[in-house]
Amino acid sequence: MYSATKQVLARPFANMQPQSRQALGLLVLAAALLLFPFYHANDADIASMANAAAYVTLALGLNIVVGFAGLLDLGYAAFFAIGVYFYGVLTAYQVMPEWSGYWGPLAAMGLVEKINQGGPDLVHFTLSFWLALPAAALVTAAFGVLFGAPTLRLRGDYLAIVTLGFGEIVPIVFRNADSVTNGAAGLNGVASPTLFGFDFGVDATPYYYVGLFLVALLIYVSIRLRDGRVGRAWMAIREDETAASTMGVDLVKYKLLAFAIGAGFAGMTGVYYVAILQTATPDMFNFNVSAMLLVMVVLGGMGSVWGVVLGAFLLQIMQSWLLPDLNWALHGIGAAVGNDWLQTVDMVKTTQLIFGLILVFMMLFRREGLIPATRKTPPLDMQQQAAQVQRGGFVGMEKIGHWELRSGNALEVKDVTVKFGGLTALNKINIVVPEGGVVAVIGPNGSGKSTLFNVITGLVRADGGSILFQGAELLGLAPHTILEKGVARTFQNIRLFPNLTVLENVLIGQHARLKTGPIGAVLQSPAGKAEEKRARQWAVDIIGLFGNRLTPRLGQTVLGLSYANRRRVEIARALASQPKILLLDEPTAGMNPNETLELAEQIKSLHELGLTILLIEHKLDVVTRLAQNVIVLDHGEKIAEGPADVVRQDEEVLRAYLGRAGRDHVAAMAAKAAEAAAAEGPGHA
Amino acid sequence: MTAYDLALQQLINGFSLGSMYALLALGFTLVYGILELINFSHFNVFMVGSFVAFYVLEGFGVVGQNTIMTGLPLVGVLLAALAVTMLVTGGIGVGIERLLLRPLRAVKGPAAMILTIGVSYVLFNIVILGAGADSKNFPNPLPPIVFTFENAVLRMREILIWVISLLLMGGLTYFVGYTKLGKAMRATAQDPEAARMMGIDVDRVIMMAFFLGSALAGAGGMIFGLYYNYTSFIIGFSAGLRAFTAAVLGGIGNVPGAMLGGLLIGLIEAYSGAFIATAWTDVIIFSLLVLVLVFRPNGLLGRMAPNKS
Repeated sequence: MYSATKQVLARPFANMQPQSRQALGLLVLAAALLLFPFYHANDADIASMANAAAYVTLALGLNIVVGFAGLLDLGYAAFFAIGVYFYGVLTAYQVMPEWSGYWGPLAAMGLVEKINQGGPDLVHFTLSFWLALPAAALVTAAFGVLFGAPTLRLRGDYLAIVTLGFGEIVPIVFRNADSVTNGAAGLNGVASPTLFGFDFGVDATPYYYVGLFLVALLIYVSIRLRDGRVGRAWMAIREDETAASTMGVDLVKYKLLAFAIGAGFAGMTGVYYVAILQTATPDMFNFNVSAMLLVMVVLGGMGSVWGVVLGAFLLQIMQSWLLPDLNWALHGIGAAVGNDWLQTVDMVKTTQLIFGLILVFMMLFRREGLIPATRKTPPLDMQQQAAQVQRGGFVGMEKIGHWELRSGNALEVKDVTVKFGGLTALNKINIVVPEGGVVAVIGPNGSGKSTLFNVITGLVRADGGSILFQGAELLGLAPHTILEKGVARTFQNIRLFPNLTVLENVLIGQHARLKTGPIGAVLQSPAGKAEEKRARQWAVDIIGLFGNRLTPRLGQTVLGLSYANRRRVEIARALASQPKILLLDEPTAGMNPNETLELAEQIKSLHELGLTILLIEHKLDVVTRLAQNVIVLDHGEKIAEGPADVVRQDEEVLRAYLGRAGRDHVAAMAAKAAEAAAAEGPGHA
Repeated sequence: MTAYDLALQQLINGFSLGSMYALLALGFTLVYGILELINFSHFNVFMVGSFVAFYVLEGFGVVGQNTIMTGLPLVGVLLAALAVTMLVTGGIGVGIERLLLRPLRAVKGPAAMILTIGVSYVLFNIVILGAGADSKNFPNPLPPIVFTFENAVLRMREILIWVISLLLMGGLTYFVGYTKLGKAMRATAQDPEAARMMGIDVDRVIMMAFFLGSALAGAGGMIFGLYYNYTSFIIGFSAGLRAFTAAVLGGIGNVPGAMLGGLLIGLIEAYSGAFIATAWTDVIIFSLLVLVLVFRPNGLLGRMAPNKS
């Protein structure tokens, strides 16, 4: 039935491009909303719509913090309150200092006026609504940074509770600071906006259009941010902070940016909201508001712009139309059947119960929300899935150019010591990686190999020593700065951004090489657009290096990729950052012999292009094939160094890997083999 | 009343409030220690406990502050109210864990925490719809015996609150420290995976943590009523936040830490209310929470469970 109807209705649109179909849909929706006051001239309903617009914009702001950046903010209503009080205090008759000549210039600008209520002349603030919108956005953004700053180092769940605390503190401050805010009694007589001499007054329609404009604006801003470098950085933080920072994302900057922009949305909405109500009390901004906004975001789909719009709209409509209508219907039925309870029941009182149930059921059964942020991509057909095994290195390497040849040492690790409590993970380690060279680090599990990578990339602090990269000290730098200098890495236990696509993962690798900030993203500057286009092409080229392993899967989330393909994406992500040295942590772990050989040859081809490589690897044939120099770690000490075949014979190395008995066994076997070889004569190796 | 008298009086009040926060903080800490989950439903499990105690006491015919009992009937009524309250809230806790949180245990991210916010809301609104939005006059059958020290008064209710709290906290300390299940609980908090491989029934341990935590919250809810002489649907939020602060202050996951943190928060509330202003109490406590989290995230006594992220 449903599908048949859908087919009939969809027929006229079947031949349209998906983009133009979407555009047509948007156009119809926009027209319907713009004409709403004309075909539905009910002031109360238009007021409900204007009110709903406020919650849509708030939910969009919260979505930036919670949905994009993954920072669970439970005190978001605080920023809303700040916006409300910003405009309220600066237009209502709350704060009225005594008039003096200094106010003259402000009066000339129309920001204040001189009034007299009997007694001395007083200053009445008359901030324009239109000026207040952006000004409140800036002021609340500053508060966003202020509240965000102390929470940055906290884990996600602590962040939730601290923001909850801030959400409580702000209304308390507004209540207690009654000389400025009129305390618990609330603001009164907030000015209504005027436009070219027309006073908005109490009629809902003009507010409705302002609300519509704000919704459109903030949807646009959200989408622009989401689809560019800034949004990718946020989503990278949401998916895996550590990986994001090693791929060049400045965690502090981008978390604060999310807080600031999210708060700015709320501040702007606050101005709009209080202009409609023309009054506000501190109690209007309690936890229930923050929780309701969270319900809207969760219902629509965290990180999904259209989902959040839908979620906020549905819940507002439920409160202002659906439940009252339900009341009316139930009361009617009650009167008909003579049931007292039905005649008096008030469904509006169940609103918050419904909110709670929505949270519970969405979390249990549909965590991605009504309109998920990531759509499922159709599965590949058999032909696309059949891997063409690539031998002889990468394909399409001409597209990525080669590395400039330098002389000297790329990386010098000098006397580096790392201690975890009583355990010395690395003890005065010295390692040199020459420019263009391939050095392998081997050693038993727990010997300190990954700690070495972590200390080079800034994830672990050293307790002494020095790490020079092209002559500059790396110790003490943040991971993202180390990446900017050209040190990229992969992780032993793959750390991709699981819910992002292959393309997005690789694009995040380029974060440090791109420049577009939030303003550039929103304004769509030609330079920004060109940069984004280049970035996408570069990502596609890098992904293309692996032949058809990854290219058909560009739009798939990495969650669904095979283990080997995830390793490839991680290498592609690191390569996308245009590294000068690549740190590979067991790149072939978990791969079968064919895949291992394929990858080993690919790494070799990178070396041939001039890339410097530091490699951790267990498979000795890979090490032998690739590395000019092998360093052996055991219990945090360097126990041997040299060409692969020399290291393989080293007494200490054999003992570390095989123990004393094993070493003797290997020696005996070697002696036997040598005897046999001598007996058979030359020619057999 | 001199400042000295006031300080003495607030010491008494602070200890009573502190015992309540400590009982509530223990529930946060038991669950967080094992699941690393901030259980927002705990806020309103506490509130529900207060209502259960209210109805049980009224069921025994104790209404308001006018029904005075003595001797065995008094002890019997109080014990029955406490036991029923703790069983009911403990059962609610187990139900939340078993039916709602267990399916989400393998899910990463904030899903489980968001779910507990939802559960908290549901409990909150069920109470509003069922019991009404007006605050209730909480029954108190204790005889009006008053001891005075200088000008500070110590009433029977304080003694009762202290006795209940001491017994419950002593019992919990014994349970966690000296019983087999308690040892299993500590092991699970350190590493659930390893505990499971050592033959510990982790599901049972988690359920036990929810039962104990929620039962203690129920006792806390009854104490709230006895202390303030009223209860209301709204009490869970601010008491819950303060108790969570207490758990963090003591070192979340740390059982003695939660008790110490609870007492400190109770004293801070009592003294800041008396010597600064009640209106700023929440601001002071939340600022403390932020400061502790930023500068000493492991709390005063340190985290007992390692960071399992």
